[in-house]
Amino acid sequence: MMFENDEERFNEWLQDAAQTYHAPPARPTPREEMWARIEAERRRRATRAIELRPWARWTLAVAAVLVLGIGIGRWTARERTPDGGAPVAAADVPADAGVAYQVAATQYLSRTEAFLTGFRADLRSGRSNARFAGQARDLLTTTRLMLDSPAANDRRLRMLLEDLELVLVQISQLEAGRDPSNADLITQGMDQRNVLPNLRSAIPAGPVPVRAEGVL
Amino acid sequence: MDERDLISRVRAGDGVAERALYDAHVDRVYRLAYRLAGDDVLAQDFTQETFIRAFDRLPTFRGDSAFSTWLHAITTTVVLNGLRKVKRFRQRETDLTDADGVGGGRREAEPDLKVRLRRAIDALPEGYRTVFVMHDVEGYTHEEIGAALGVETGTSKAQLSRARAKLREALADFAGEWVT
Repeated sequence: MMFENDEERFNEWLQDAAQTYHAPPARPTPREEMWARIEAERRRRATRAIELRPWARWTLAVAAVLVLGIGIGRWTARERTPDGGAPVAAADVPADAGVAYQVAATQYLSRTEAFLTGFRADLRSGRSNARFAGQARDLLTTTRLMLDSPAANDRRLRMLLEDLELVLVQISQLEAGRDPSNADLITQGMDQRNVLPNLRSAIPAGPVPVRAEGVL
Repeated sequence: MDERDLISRVRAGDGVAERALYDAHVDRVYRLAYRLAGDDVLAQDFTQETFIRAFDRLPTFRGDSAFSTWLHAITTTVVLNGLRKVKRFRQRETDLTDADGVGGGRREAEPDLKVRLRRAIDALPEGYRTVFVMHDVEGYTHEEIGAALGVETGTSKAQLSRARAKLREALADFAGEWVT
């Protein structure tokens, strides 16, 4: 039987002992570093918001969903034809959807593919991966916007975007001098989830010249 | 300067006021993020995202509650969502490590109180852990916790009580520490 004062004693002891739990560093809060990154990120988002006026956002959203829908269609069509048969023809994108908006959506997927491919390649060559952290943060922001968009209503695409988000979060945390096995674990996770093959399958084919415009 | 005035200036696009508002709250936001995440990089990432969202959404802040309450609601949302994603990823890494046989076969020494306590807190259900950390570790009131997590004050109290009970059970070996 627990007496009231016994419980109080435990609660007091627990509160005191728990101060060691995830104790923040003794140094001051890195407010300047965080503020600099907040300002940079807000500037970047604001620039994009200016570029995309309200009417353009709606058009882009429609176009992006169309493009991603085509990607998903190709992806699922390939899965249905494992014998290597010709992929099912995708629906035509209405001309008035705007090539520029198709490019924007495709560019995101292409940039991410190029980035992850480069990341893996550098890892194999034994070079430092810390330089990828900043790029991963940029892509992470776009990925989260995609996750918040109607495009994420599709289960398969959402899973791909969530996989990409997790990979990018991990890469964004890589720092110079840290344990290189962290990077190995990231690529192992990518392999296990077939992240790159799934990503490549989701990129619509076509004469969009953005695949050469990756971040690398 | 009064915080209401500061917020009005931020809404009007005053960059100096933005920085002042950030300076007034960043320490507590970062501390909470760190306590919940246990990782400096993640804590900084979550803090940044919290303020980015807060500045973006400031026009929707009606002032029904304190700004700090509103800000900590954003903080907990950002941190808990972020941690869920990181947890899923780390679970995959753990599965891979286990599959490779890495890290197996090593017998750990008997962990001390600090380690046992950390593990016990980590093992709490997310809601219990969040309330426990906010109340017993960071000193938030049940009213603040309820507002931040979007639950009733009574729910916060009940979750804290259950969290403590689970921790007491998990730390029974150390009973001598508080009984005497």
